[in-house]
Amino acid sequence: MKPPRGWPEHVPAVLAALALLLGLQLLGTLVVDLAHLPVPGAVVGLFVLLVVGARFRGFAARVEPAANPLLKHLQLLFIPPGVGALTQLSTIAQSAAPLAVAVVGSFALGLVVAGVVLQKLLRRKVVS
Amino acid sequence: MIHAPGFGLALTLLAYLGAGELHRRLGRPALLAPVLVAMIVVSVVLELLGISYEEYLASVSVLTLLLGPATVALALPLLRSGRALLADRLAVLVTLLVTGAVSVGVTVGALTALGSSDSVVLTTLPRSVTTPVALTVGETIGANTTLAVVLTLVSGVLGATVAPWLLDRVRVGDPRARGFAIGMVSHGIGTSRALAESDVAGGWSSAAMVLNALAMTVVLPVVAQAFH
Repeated sequence: MKPPRGWPEHVPAVLAALALLLGLQLLGTLVVDLAHLPVPGAVVGLFVLLVVGARFRGFAARVEPAANPLLKHLQLLFIPPGVGALTQLSTIAQSAAPLAVAVVGSFALGLVVAGVVLQKLLRRKVVS
Repeated sequence: MIHAPGFGLALTLLAYLGAGELHRRLGRPALLAPVLVAMIVVSVVLELLGISYEEYLASVSVLTLLLGPATVALALPLLRSGRALLADRLAVLVTLLVTGAVSVGVTVGALTALGSSDSVVLTTLPRSVTTPVALTVGETIGANTTLAVVLTLVSGVLGATVAPWLLDRVRVGDPRARGFAIGMVSHGIGTSRALAESDVAGGWSSAAMVLNALAMTVVLPVVAQAFH
């Protein structure tokens, strides 16, 4: 199978891919504004990329030069809000105990339920 | 120099690169996740130099801007594992719904039972969602977004540290189920841990992260209505 085609060689791939991602986000924002949806525009953009990318492999390949480094270093983008959060430590301290119970509880239960349920369902399929 | 427009950005990049290098040299301990170390370093430096958070935020606005395209890019891991997911779509869908209900139920139940205010409940809700989406969802439902980010990061680090151990205890050995479970509850940080287990686990983990983000984007605004 031939690999899906990316950008032509003379096009700066990272910049073109970033422009395409931004374009999808703005398209999503436009849809959200027009239809008054309660979701972020970027999530609609994600959905559009999913649908178009599933149909045309080349489209996904053209997004990759910017998408891959962004996904690999997604955590870099969390530093500014995280720094802001550190300045709010007093709010956390006030309700620390309930927060800890809620976060750890929903984390542990969610993890176990997801793992056990999916494993059971996947196994049943193999048997039948 | 410290009030130059590029100072905050340079500081952030340096802290991130330095924390990544430190993490690599110490053998990748989950507790010293580069993002946590970098956050603490940046906060301490800002405090020492007397730079306000507002001034710092203006300097790193380009990073905030990139959250949008990064969210759109999350479609790619889903596309990559698309065929395997479609083959087991019913199992995946049921797991997604059941886990989502349990996760939201426990959060709301625990906080209400312990007498937390509505604003704390709203802030805790987007916790399991990948950070770029958690931020926008948090804004939509009126959460305290900076606090929501901390809780998201805590979930991620919990996933990277104790999730494999906990899954062993309940005998979940299938790499697909392990990856999916980790991605559901601890998004990107957990996904990087799942990738260390195997490619299959990593693929299912990023798929779970994206599916959970999509589901929660739709569900949370509805749940949040009850707390306004």
